[in-house]
Amino acid sequence: MFKALKEKLFSARKKLEHSIEVNTPAQNEKPQGISRAEQIHPQQEVETPAPEQVKKASPKITDKIVSFVRDREFIISEKDVNDILDELEMGLLESDVAFSVTEAILARIKADLSGSKRKIGTSVDSIVRNALSDALLGVLGEGVDICAFIREHERPVKILFTGVNGTGKTTSIAKVTRFLQKNGFSVVLGAGDTFRAGAIEQIDVHGERLGVKVIQHQEGSDPTAVLFDTVEYARAHKIDVVLGDTAGRFHNRANLMNQLAKIRRVINPDLIVYVDEAVAGNDAVIRAEEFAKSVGMDAIMLTKVDMDPKGGAAISVAYAVGKPLLFIGTGQGYDDVMAFNPRLVVADLLGDA
Amino acid sequence: MLDNLGSNLKDALRKLAGKTVIDRAAVEELVKDLQRALLQADVNVKQVMQLSQTIKKRALDEQPPKGVTAREHVLRIVYEELVALVGQKVEVTLGKQIILMAGLQGSGKTTTTAKLARFFKRKGMRVAVICADTFRPGAYTQIKTLCDKVHVPCYGDPSEHDARKIVREGLAQLKEEVIIVDTQGRHALEDDLITEIIDLNEITKATHRWLVLDAALGQQAREQARRFHEAVSIDGVIITKMDGTAKGGGAMSAVAETGSGIVFIGQGETIEDLEWFDPNSYISRLLGMGDLKALAERVQESIDEQDIDVNAMLSGKFTLRDMYRQLEAVNKMGPLKQVLSMLPLGGMDLPTEALDVTASKMGKYRVIMDSMTATELDDPTVLNGSRIQRIAQGAGAQLEEVRELIKYYKMMKRTFKGLKGGEKGMQRLMKKFGKMG
Repeated sequence: MFKALKEKLFSARKKLEHSIEVNTPAQNEKPQGISRAEQIHPQQEVETPAPEQVKKASPKITDKIVSFVRDREFIISEKDVNDILDELEMGLLESDVAFSVTEAILARIKADLSGSKRKIGTSVDSIVRNALSDALLGVLGEGVDICAFIREHERPVKILFTGVNGTGKTTSIAKVTRFLQKNGFSVVLGAGDTFRAGAIEQIDVHGERLGVKVIQHQEGSDPTAVLFDTVEYARAHKIDVVLGDTAGRFHNRANLMNQLAKIRRVINPDLIVYVDEAVAGNDAVIRAEEFAKSVGMDAIMLTKVDMDPKGGAAISVAYAVGKPLLFIGTGQGYDDVMAFNPRLVVADLLGDA
Repeated sequence: MLDNLGSNLKDALRKLAGKTVIDRAAVEELVKDLQRALLQADVNVKQVMQLSQTIKKRALDEQPPKGVTAREHVLRIVYEELVALVGQKVEVTLGKQIILMAGLQGSGKTTTTAKLARFFKRKGMRVAVICADTFRPGAYTQIKTLCDKVHVPCYGDPSEHDARKIVREGLAQLKEEVIIVDTQGRHALEDDLITEIIDLNEITKATHRWLVLDAALGQQAREQARRFHEAVSIDGVIITKMDGTAKGGGAMSAVAETGSGIVFIGQGETIEDLEWFDPNSYISRLLGMGDLKALAERVQESIDEQDIDVNAMLSGKFTLRDMYRQLEAVNKMGPLKQVLSMLPLGGMDLPTEALDVTASKMGKYRVIMDSMTATELDDPTVLNGSRIQRIAQGAGAQLEEVRELIKYYKMMKRTFKGLKGGEKGMQRLMKKFGKMG
């Protein structure tokens, strides 16, 4: 998974290391000539109170020398990192990280690296690794343990699935059903997509194959009513989890978004899962933001990861809404679902492959 | 599609206005804006870099022909390169044909199949659909329901698992002129399914193999398109879900990869939301060069000549009566903003508040104008305090609403006057691009 992004990040990291390695000896040599002269006024330099931020913005040659001589450190200049960051930018863009998110991540890495000091003896590798993994981990946030979540909440736990058309909400619900069953929970499904032709049949067949009850009304009926009935059914039959399907809708359709808000008001779900596809590009950010704003979301499920996407959508969506990734969908079968572990993914992305 | 591209480009082009020598800094800025817009639209990164290099090189190296300003010259280069990016126009013939639909899961193949069936049926063809999606539950019910709505026969068998068998039997049974084969969603790494679509292509001897792509598809589009093209040689791309905020740049990369063109664009969930795609008009509109052909077609389709007199409007003789007709015509023709986007306005900016009038407000304006006398409609200058009060009472409207209407009218009048001023430049521009086309 996410192999391409990994390769890109890896090569950029190597270059970054290389450039710092090459530049530091150069810095190293120059000061040696001057440093003797500078030695005469070291006190002056130390005495002038130089605030940390000013230093960071433009490290003067004297600062470099002071830090080299006194603290045994190198200052990494902005110029050192710029070229490699350009390459990293292309890598992120080619991996489908949205344009705005790419810019934000790069700004962060740049701020972290340039002007920062490096102690002699600390490896460059660890500096670069930390900057990149900090940036990516910061974006991806923490994962969620769905089983613990269910155990902690009052039954039935109501989980609502939302998203734009064709991202795989219904298939995802079937997979999550299987996942929860394997973890010993009972499940009931609500056929809340009453709009698309064939949607009710689709979830009904899934329910039949998985051996769970599907609460359904007719095509064109009010989805809120369907989901309300589903919750009532779960209460009456002491079922652990309600999974509510909804029709795919675009975030720029006010009426459809209002309908979703109504479902939310009436059902009061414990968890709103936003489903999007891993192959989506820049639009992933726009629609995730809109969904988060108008109906809210607590977690993200990313589908179609088996299409060999480069992993950028995960970073884009997580960055846009700051919510954790719950699951990733990796195929057409019921068992093709994985819990998402951000540390594993980032470690994997930055691993020495 | 590339909406933000339009305004970015117009800004950059404005900086070139009036110059006879190409300004390197301005070109570089333009290329940067172009890159940004294309990347945000999900166009393939490598393609964007290539395109921007070409534009930069051509803009700086090629001498503008005599009598052509720097701005026109650069605009023309951008136009040509962007048209090349969106591919050729794909002719849709109205003859006997078999169309094989291919695409990723959830890209909208089934909905698009139904839309196509309706398109061909409305053109007077006899159409039938074969449902070869044997995998996704509910797929047959979905396409059958949609086909029933447009009275198109649909062949399929939800209990049969062999798509090849269904297609063979379907072809033997159906005698319609246009047969559309809807297939299961698949992606390039699923070898069995790729083999299946190769087989289906052989069985059907399909006239067209159209790739259906979601407008939101990112950088993967190019790779997926490449592999689909290798398998069945795609000869057209349909972009779906263009009614969202996605820009469809991924699908454009797919077009370049397959060497085909965009055939149709899906713009909504209902069965009529399908638009035929013409790359020239699209890019013209994007760059503010207008699309008079489409405008003429639209006008012919929707309104009688007496409804709206564009010439009178442009000549500055614009009365409330014209505006009334215009509001009525707008109902039939679509939003004014869209209509005006077809006029060759160059880099001119129209006051957006003049164009963004909501449908409900339009309705209110019409009621107010219904309460006006003929004199008032023909010569709005006679409107004074007591007349406004009378009109408001008659229309059941607030005084402010009547005043707002008058303000709107004045703004429109100014806008059209502005158009007239720019006419000469526009005509020159049109002539230039006319030669190219």
